[in-house]
Amino acid sequence: MIRLSLVLGTLYAMAAGAVAQDLSAEAWQLESKGEALQARERLQKAAEASPNDAGVLRAYAEFLDRHRDPAAREIYTRLEQALARSGASNQERAAVARRQAILDLLAGDREAAVRHVEAYRTAGGNGLALPQSAAPDAAKPNFIEIPGPLRSFARMAALSPDLKPDDLLPALARNVVTNGYQAANSNEALEQTEYLKLVVRYLSQARELERLATQDKNIRIETCESNETGDLLRVLGYRMRGGCGSDVVLETVNATRAFLTIDSGFPLAELEQALRTNRPFVLDYHRTRVPILYNADYWLSAKEKTSGEFIDAFISDPSLCRLYLGMSKLDPQTAKALREEIPAARLKVYAHVLDFFGAMFQISDGKALVPGGARTEKTWAEMAGVPPEKGAAFFERLISRDDGWMASYFDALARINGPVKDYLTEPERMKRFYAAIRGRVTSPGPARPVFRSNTDMLLLTTRLRLDANGKPHLPGSIDVWKNLFANHPHGKYDAKLTRSAANWKDADDVLEALFGLCRKAVENEPLKIFMALSDVERNRTKPLEVATVDRLAREYRQLSAQYPLFSEAPAVSDATIIAFLDTVHAINQIHDAGLRADAAGTLQALVGLWQIFLRQETISQADSDGALAEILAPLAKVQGARDLFDGVRAGVRVLLKATHSPENVSPQDRMIDLLAGTGTSDGSEAHQTVVEDMIRVFESQRLVSLATLFELADNLESVARGEKLNTALAGKLAARISEIQLPRSALTTLEKNSLSFGYWTERHIEAQRKLNLRAAIEKAANEPSKLKELRGSLAPFLRDTLVGLNYIHYAPPGAQVLHTNPLFVRSHDFIGIQGAQQTWKHTELFGTGWPANAGGRLVGSLASLPYALAEAEQNFLIPSREQALIWGDLVPQMILTAVIPRWWSVTPVQLHWVGMHMAYADTLLAESALSAERRKQMIAVLDKYAPPARLKKLDSLLTAGDVRGAAENIVPSEMYLAADELAAKDQESPIAGDIRKLAAQAPDAVSARSISRICGSPKPTLANSYQPELLNLRTFPTLMGYSSRILAESWESNLLYYAALADEVHVRPAQLNVLIPAWTQQTVERIFATHLEDWPALLRSLRLVGDDVRQKARKQLMADN
Amino acid sequence: MVVGLAAAQDRPVFRVKVDMVVLSFTITDNKGKYVNGLKPRDLKVLEDGISQKIATFAEGNKPPVQLAEDGSMKPITLSSAGMVDGRSDAFVGTNVFVLFDTSNYMYRGFVYAEDAIADFIRGLDRADSVAVYTFSRNLSRAAPLTKERTDAIFGLRKAVAGDDAALYNALLLTLRDAAHIPGRKVVIVFSNGPDNASMVAPDDVRAVAEDEGIPIYVISTNEVNKDPISSSVFKRISTRTGGRSYFAKTWQKQVEAFESIREDLGNSYTVTYYPQPNPNEGFRKIDVQVASDVGKKYRVQCRPGYRPRGGF
Repeated sequence: MIRLSLVLGTLYAMAAGAVAQDLSAEAWQLESKGEALQARERLQKAAEASPNDAGVLRAYAEFLDRHRDPAAREIYTRLEQALARSGASNQERAAVARRQAILDLLAGDREAAVRHVEAYRTAGGNGLALPQSAAPDAAKPNFIEIPGPLRSFARMAALSPDLKPDDLLPALARNVVTNGYQAANSNEALEQTEYLKLVVRYLSQARELERLATQDKNIRIETCESNETGDLLRVLGYRMRGGCGSDVVLETVNATRAFLTIDSGFPLAELEQALRTNRPFVLDYHRTRVPILYNADYWLSAKEKTSGEFIDAFISDPSLCRLYLGMSKLDPQTAKALREEIPAARLKVYAHVLDFFGAMFQISDGKALVPGGARTEKTWAEMAGVPPEKGAAFFERLISRDDGWMASYFDALARINGPVKDYLTEPERMKRFYAAIRGRVTSPGPARPVFRSNTDMLLLTTRLRLDANGKPHLPGSIDVWKNLFANHPHGKYDAKLTRSAANWKDADDVLEALFGLCRKAVENEPLKIFMALSDVERNRTKPLEVATVDRLAREYRQLSAQYPLFSEAPAVSDATIIAFLDTVHAINQIHDAGLRADAAGTLQALVGLWQIFLRQETISQADSDGALAEILAPLAKVQGARDLFDGVRAGVRVLLKATHSPENVSPQDRMIDLLAGTGTSDGSEAHQTVVEDMIRVFESQRLVSLATLFELADNLESVARGEKLNTALAGKLAARISEIQLPRSALTTLEKNSLSFGYWTERHIEAQRKLNLRAAIEKAANEPSKLKELRGSLAPFLRDTLVGLNYIHYAPPGAQVLHTNPLFVRSHDFIGIQGAQQTWKHTELFGTGWPANAGGRLVGSLASLPYALAEAEQNFLIPSREQALIWGDLVPQMILTAVIPRWWSVTPVQLHWVGMHMAYADTLLAESALSAERRKQMIAVLDKYAPPARLKKLDSLLTAGDVRGAAENIVPSEMYLAADELAAKDQESPIAGDIRKLAAQAPDAVSARSISRICGSPKPTLANSYQPELLNLRTFPTLMGYSSRILAESWESNLLYYAALADEVHVRPAQLNVLIPAWTQQTVERIFATHLEDWPALLRSLRLVGDDVRQKARKQLMADN
Repeated sequence: MVVGLAAAQDRPVFRVKVDMVVLSFTITDNKGKYVNGLKPRDLKVLEDGISQKIATFAEGNKPPVQLAEDGSMKPITLSSAGMVDGRSDAFVGTNVFVLFDTSNYMYRGFVYAEDAIADFIRGLDRADSVAVYTFSRNLSRAAPLTKERTDAIFGLRKAVAGDDAALYNALLLTLRDAAHIPGRKVVIVFSNGPDNASMVAPDDVRAVAEDEGIPIYVISTNEVNKDPISSSVFKRISTRTGGRSYFAKTWQKQVEAFESIREDLGNSYTVTYYPQPNPNEGFRKIDVQVASDVGKKYRVQCRPGYRPRGGF
């Protein structure tokens, strides 16, 4: 009997196990098909039906775990109980306890984590231990005091209220350095800016208010009539109007004081309300304690004389602030070594160099770690004059050498990794290139201006590529570069380099010249040519011919804005590239400026559409060359408006053919569908929304559809053959023309003169308004040749329609400008300011903030239209909190990232891949808190992306078991990369196993290239291309000439974060086409940044949006249940 | 609602015209005194010369009435389903959007302007709702639409001095918000004028206000005269939208302006109508006439017209 029951029991367990396996497999399949919600429901029901079935519970828990669902903890608890009841093996119980401990740490539940680590050990697990205390740092920080509440001080000093206490003084220091002082008019001395004067005045007012506070540090007004009321109002700069009671109103009596009161956010309205109702007013007026690095004495020792409190001494000395800022960027060990060996006053002299280039300094065991490691130590010793073994002394020498150029070189090399770093740090080469940078005169140094002026050096070291032979990639041949330097069409770059170019033999000679030009204050055009052409060749299977490279190099100054076209199209042949350049020159030769603008505009619009379709893979790479060549051919021979119309119409036909459009399809509808991102509508709501948004913009701009224009042209041809005019068609055009408004004219001659551009766009619009097709037909009656010519009058309309199609594709979320200014597309100025030759240059925004003009408009080519449109739209976003502003140079890039990629062909598997990586990265972080071995691995991976100070902070937080704190210091792109690198070898984590399973199941879909395409961002500056991709770089600092723009391009976290979020809340991939622009807008509106490098503010905002989305999705899920 | 096909499209694009027109106006006699007590039958509303049938009628802050076919009037009753934004009183009083310029151009007058706005808010009719928006380079919604004066003033007092001025961008965004609110609404701009950051032109913004039927009032100081472009733009956009502009010597001396606006709000008529068939898809000219005004002695101040709204 016993035996029978054992057998039955075993059979039952086996059957249950099989059911669970089936369930798990079914859930996995549903997830892969994008039916994660259904999978969840299925698992949930199964778990409810079999509450004691460990297999079912495990399947459910692991599903939730993969999707970072907080409910996973509860299901694991139920699994733990089920295992206990069924007498499961220790191994099984240990695995569950391990997982529970990880999820506890991620949820911030330390107590539960302790319990589960213990359970893990009891079940025989080993290798995990939770540190005793969650305190991140053993050393007790020192504090300084600032009068008044933090909220008021932060408002006055323009500090984000979200800053962590440790980050307050560095942020203040940065604001003082960048905004606090300006050169006095009369001499070289610095004087306080209005910003700093207000901070100083505020501190004084805060001290006065402090004196009014009672012993318990509260400002207390008991009644309206009390003496304290008068005293308080005097300090605040207000007085009462009307007697105490409901009539009392506070009004300004001292504008200076009142301004501080309001600007610092004093609760004046609350005070007024208290006085009106005769209720007590109590305001907590405790001083603010702010953590300070080391102690106040250390910093004050750098000053000759001090008076007042620390805060006064601090903000009155920009050099001291800069030293503080520089030291705050160092990891604690390095900072300690510098502080102990070098007096603050001596460091302060080079604070500007330390601030810009010190972040990568590291001292370990008393020794400076140098780029290139042990093999370069001798060379660094030679270059700096002090060996790296001397640690702090080495860095002191480094920052003091050559006005900071050597430190900037060190920084540029320390930021890169891999073979390029190995190549550039080959000792002799490293020395040689530095000698080129240094030159004879080192002043001005790269740390003198407000932004780092070693931009070119950073770009060169970051973007340099090595060929398969281990040599740097050199576009064309050495002769191209020798010629460029020796016989440049626009004059010499550098007399010495021009002479030496004749003897150049290999790529290093060119690199040496490029490094040498990095120090010049003028634009480093050869470097830009080098990078642009390297990017053009980056994805080509066969390099460009030497003659093509030579021509592209020589025409760089005029046509460089167009080169990203070729970077995005690696299959375009040399012949077509040359044909493009020839067509541009042919158009430039058109004498009539109006026709020239129309020809240039339509060419760019057609090529722009070709580029979009190629990017979206509706034109294949194989067809790309033929299609472009066919588009160009007729446009190279334009003599008049009719030629132009016919040539452009042919171009539209080529685009339709290359995108495999069905015969007889309406060109207008087809174009809109293609621009939405897919040739065939999937019938989804998302697709309908995208298409409707596009048509709305098209309508707002009063553009004429392609179909109407082409039918009219055909009808004119028929009229020439003696047939009748299709009056309905002519009426359609006339109706649209009647909607075109007059360009708004300037009010005065003075204003008109100020607007030296726009003449040709006004003529362009005016010509369209004047077109009366019926009258023109009547006039040309009986003259077939004249009637045929009439279709040339449609060319300007065709230009606007095609340009408009480009605009609507790149329209930013909201598109306020496009919906409000009906002439925005028609006003695109392809000619630009007289003499500026802007036809083929980057798109630029002109005419903002001029009440009398027609609003801002775009000038130049369509080459950087996406960025220009995003720039035009950014200030229509509304920050969610008072005082926050839209981050000028960062937000357009974020908008681009939401607008350019389309996600129609993204599969659920790909979203799940990213989602699982993020879930696995969470696991890695939690495991790092439990295991020193794991922590070491994690830090080693992150070392490639995070600076030493952040790494040390991460390390110390993880060592202390503070997983949530650590998560706040790591960005989503770093999490993804860490997971990607470590999943392959992890045999313990179930999520790592699932990642490997998915990789085996869909290797192409989840390849690095595929993920780069769907989660990457366009990088017009860093990669000379709008093709979305992941470059996996360190986040850049702000740079001279680019402000935060390159920082924004190197920020690759947004789409990875949104993709993981979509997987988490079970969103179908197609919905991302609508959701990502909306999420991006919300992210932008929630950023509260203090300065131009404040990427943590961006991270915070991203997480807030994520929390919101999760909360809503879970609420919905509960409602559905 | 009228559903039609867009003229220039091939795909059947349905342009739905949300075409109930809301028209607010004041009538003054030849001495500048408000003419009150008129009834719907006393008024004639013409659109491009086509006579319109008034659907609802309201005078000042009195509750609106609905006009039946036979010309009889009955109060508008809103079922719970007819409540707008949860407010059954959405059509009573005026929704006042205050737009406060906190840019550098207002630096000197910032606190005085803020006091003035607080006074203005306190003096609004009890039936009115008020929202406070501030702007410099970006817009900030300091206080959402509320009937609680205290909430609005709390929001106002949180204003922060900013830098660049993007007045017309901010005005556009305010109008877009106001357009979502049912009932009568006005935007009141407190600004010294210059704009150095807007992307949209004043007249494009004015066109939006015209189309949405939202009068723009501008309150400014003589400072604005330092920038003649701004003062002329202010006059134009306010007049063309049915509002007014005021230029006092200082912010402290705006009492008269406030009184005038309050009088405008309290003495205005608001009618709604569904436009009669009209082939004009462009700008439609509106004309309000008083039947008894044979000698044309009355002056009607209202927006000159609008463009029918397009969309899906």
